[in-house]
Amino acid sequence: METLLLEKKDYEAFITALINWCEVISPVKKEVVRFKKIKNPSDVYLGKNSFFPVKEFFFRKKETIFKFKNNKISIPKLESPKRIFFGLRKCDLNAISHQDKVFMETVKDPYYISQRKNSYLIGYHCNEAPSKYCFCESMRLKDFFDLMLYDKHKDFFLVEVGSEKGKTLAKKFGKYLKRTDNKVSLEEKKIPGADRLPDSNIKDLYDNPGWQEGVDKCLSCTACTALCPTCYCFDLKDEVKARNLSEGERVRNWSSCQLKEFTMVAGSHVFREKREERFKHRIYHQLDYFREKYDVDLCTGCGRCIEGCPTRIDFVDIINRMKQDKAKQ
Amino acid sequence: MTKAIFVEKENPYIPLPCKVVDYKRESPDNFTITLDLRLKHEPGQFVQVSLPGIGECPISICSYPEEQLKLNIREVGSMTNALAKLRKGDSLFVRGPYGNGYKMEQFKNNNLIIIGGGCGVAPLKGVIEYVERHRDDYKNVHLFLGYRSPDNILFKEELEEWRNKYHLTVTIDENAHGEFCYNAKTGFITDALKNSDINNENKVVFVCGPPVMMNYVIQVLKDKGFNDDQIFISAERLMYCAFGACCHCMIRGKYTCIDGPVFRYDEVKNYKND
Repeated sequence: METLLLEKKDYEAFITALINWCEVISPVKKEVVRFKKIKNPSDVYLGKNSFFPVKEFFFRKKETIFKFKNNKISIPKLESPKRIFFGLRKCDLNAISHQDKVFMETVKDPYYISQRKNSYLIGYHCNEAPSKYCFCESMRLKDFFDLMLYDKHKDFFLVEVGSEKGKTLAKKFGKYLKRTDNKVSLEEKKIPGADRLPDSNIKDLYDNPGWQEGVDKCLSCTACTALCPTCYCFDLKDEVKARNLSEGERVRNWSSCQLKEFTMVAGSHVFREKREERFKHRIYHQLDYFREKYDVDLCTGCGRCIEGCPTRIDFVDIINRMKQDKAKQ
Repeated sequence: MTKAIFVEKENPYIPLPCKVVDYKRESPDNFTITLDLRLKHEPGQFVQVSLPGIGECPISICSYPEEQLKLNIREVGSMTNALAKLRKGDSLFVRGPYGNGYKMEQFKNNNLIIIGGGCGVAPLKGVIEYVERHRDDYKNVHLFLGYRSPDNILFKEELEEWRNKYHLTVTIDENAHGEFCYNAKTGFITDALKNSDINNENKVVFVCGPPVMMNYVIQVLKDKGFNDDQIFISAERLMYCAFGACCHCMIRGKYTCIDGPVFRYDEVKNYKND
């Protein structure tokens, strides 16, 4: 992997050059930190990870699948904007790679692909866990980025080139990204304070009573799945125009496995009727089921589902406790 | 005239237009529509049926490819109630086929036991039609079909034909009409099964019906010595995409839409509520 050097005195000019080349989206600090299109280098906020995940730019909250009018279907023209996503953390980059597996490699979802294909991903590597809920180090994440900035030195960033798109950027912005003999060591890629879940294998915990602690506090509010950078469940439904019922569109909306109606079939039978079943389904999809199919855990350890939970259910603590209790027996 | 279906290669969400060529009421809340579609599929698979403005829902195929595609539908929700209003010449949209059906090739030279409850008989009718066309490949065929009342009996015309060709048992839970002409026994399908002389020798069993009925049927089968891997069930779940993305139909780590709807019982037996 090629490593380049970006002097900190060139940082603002580099960001400005990116903005002049195409739309740049990065964490911006308002009431909360979230990904937004930026106009100036000073808009970029790297002090903390974004409260909301970046997934809404690729797997959009609401997508028009097709329009219909008098029983004729028309597919919207899909645009593929050229965009740079700047300041993505390792957890969020891996989350994108997991959604890529679903929507690009397996399903070939044209809506996701059109949003994703001309996007460039520039990471900002955490020097330490930005939140006390982080546990990415426990999730065996991969290097997945076009460029990754490592902020380990006073005067410069080291920049790793991780893909063909990264090479394109390195070439295009060669004025700022200079050659260097420096390398980022494996030790420097570790993120201190983010290894809270030493053993994420929960296969033999399904019937453990320890889950109850989380279940009792769960409101089924779906904040966890909305804030999760990897959760990708969705509904399809038809919306019609009020003035003409034969005209409208089929839309895809985010959904959540925490809702009772998520498994409701015609006749009103609900398969995951109990909150416990729904609560466990989310955790097991993240740490077990996804691996069955895609050979990687869905969860990337960003901790948003814990930080954003109104009752602060820390499923990492719950799993750790169950493991400890089991070890004692 | 039938036309061949092609699946939209560029966009898996887009259904294709087709027309109703026949409509037949089977019971007070159940009907069969025939579409001008010729669709290569295996018995037990399903299609996603769309009525723009109402929505989309999965419907199992109740016919075998040589014919025009037939769908048997029970009116239980907004989509199926809207579908019930379709008549000859009306248009609708279909995509598919989807799912893992009954792998009939694998069951060659076996005796088949086919057990259906209510509208769960619909996908099994596809199996029966397959067997009719490949009769020499299978040995004895037992059909156990259970309905709530005489009015709910489906495929009444086909019943006589099946009675001549196979070992047919029809049951009705309650016989409100007293005397009754389909040679149906009053009582639950499980009782008929219990009293029959079936055994597990060289047999595979297909079960499709309401969850409660399937649970009891499986219990009876196990009492009669059947192994879990001889039993194939067809699962029902809510689904939107039908290609393993929307996640609504997950049964633990399995997707009903791609790993099912037909599962070998031992694959999912512990996961009834998940």
